[in-house]
Amino acid sequence: MALQKTVTFIIERQDSPTGKPYTQEFELPWRPALNVVAALMEIQKNPVTKDGKRVAPVVWECNCLEKVCGACMMVINGKAQQACCALVDKLKQPIHLAPARTFPVIRDLLIDRTVMFENLKRIQGWINVDGTWEVRIPPRQNPNTAATAYEISHCMTCGCCLEACPNVGPQSDFIGPSPIAQAYMYNINPLGEYDKANRLNALMAKGGITSCGNSGNCVKACPKGIKLTTYLAQINRDVNIQALKNIFDH
Amino acid sequence: MFNITFYLRRLHSLVGLFMGAFLMVHIGNNSAVLLGPDMMNMVIGTMDKMPMFIRLPIELGLIAAPFGFHALYGVYIALQARNNPIRYGYLQNWQFTLQRWTAWYLLVFLIWHVYYLAIHTRITGIHLCFEFLQSYLSNPVYWVLYVLGMWAAIFHFTNGINTFCMTWGIAKGPRIQMVINMACMGLCGALCLETLALMLVYILPIF
Repeated sequence: MALQKTVTFIIERQDSPTGKPYTQEFELPWRPALNVVAALMEIQKNPVTKDGKRVAPVVWECNCLEKVCGACMMVINGKAQQACCALVDKLKQPIHLAPARTFPVIRDLLIDRTVMFENLKRIQGWINVDGTWEVRIPPRQNPNTAATAYEISHCMTCGCCLEACPNVGPQSDFIGPSPIAQAYMYNINPLGEYDKANRLNALMAKGGITSCGNSGNCVKACPKGIKLTTYLAQINRDVNIQALKNIFDH
Repeated sequence: MFNITFYLRRLHSLVGLFMGAFLMVHIGNNSAVLLGPDMMNMVIGTMDKMPMFIRLPIELGLIAAPFGFHALYGVYIALQARNNPIRYGYLQNWQFTLQRWTAWYLLVFLIWHVYYLAIHTRITGIHLCFEFLQSYLSNPVYWVLYVLGMWAAIFHFTNGINTFCMTWGIAKGPRIQMVINMACMGLCGALCLETLALMLVYILPIF
């Protein structure tokens, strides 16, 4: 009988937020259409390394398993991507898994994603509908900008663009590509555009859009194909105009 | 609202372009050597005719000050990056990394270059001319460091035009960004070949 085909994983692990990273190797049987999340589930069932040592199961996050929630983003073979749609057959073996170190690591592949929520708050990523005014029928979306907004709305705050960006990380205060695209999405909304100046001013502050170094990694890393560099350039245009307004309006 | 960061960054970008214009003039002057040592000496002689009370303010105000600002703020910017071209080996990411590597090299190279050829020679009264530069560049280490310095400056400038177009929101879509990038890299290649040619005049018995 032929030997059973196997898959080898080299996983970068870390026991605590301040712990020292180390790697462990796992080998598991291959099966058709195996993806990284399914493989991690196999390791969880039987957490034994390749050299037979029983270890604590690998910690990671996942949720929807269909590339819409963004929770399972990790660095697979050096590139940030969703583990749920990373098919083992399409990856070079041994497969290296590592946490996205742009974010604080909590344990193993689990990261603290709070900063992405904070970023959305920083750019005022919402539409003000509640207030002392009467709620009426909202204005219509322009169908052309609606198509752009639909594209940007696919963003699942997975963090791939932030991990790929050389200017985002503990060494810098750069807000990163995805919240900037989100700001543009809210700016082209017929109700959201009332707060356009606030969002642009937030992006002109320290660590805003001006920290972008045009490496272009974000648009290549985005699993949703959002044209991030295009929207970054658009916001760059918008902040120039906002800057002129700031100078000449006051 | 007044965001100082925004204006500093945009100023850094504009000053870079201004210094690029200076670089083009500098390369233009240096290219006189391609027409022969006499032509080079004539160009240096013309510049020496400018009286010091005009030349010094220009050198300090229009060259040294913008360079200083661009260099100091540039160090701050470069320290914000964690270059990752090995993991993400895309063309534009390599350009991003090279933009920072050339910046570090230029920082050291320009201090050496300006100190020796602009300050040291004036203090010691050395007369700058083709023959002096020829003997100076006969040291192969200096020659190589100078060629690398020129190439670094040319790449940093031409790639700077490219990123300028993105930073100011001039080139928005992926196609125009690629067209501008290729045009800038074409200019970079042409200028690198041109400076290599003029540097070869100093070490090869052409004239």
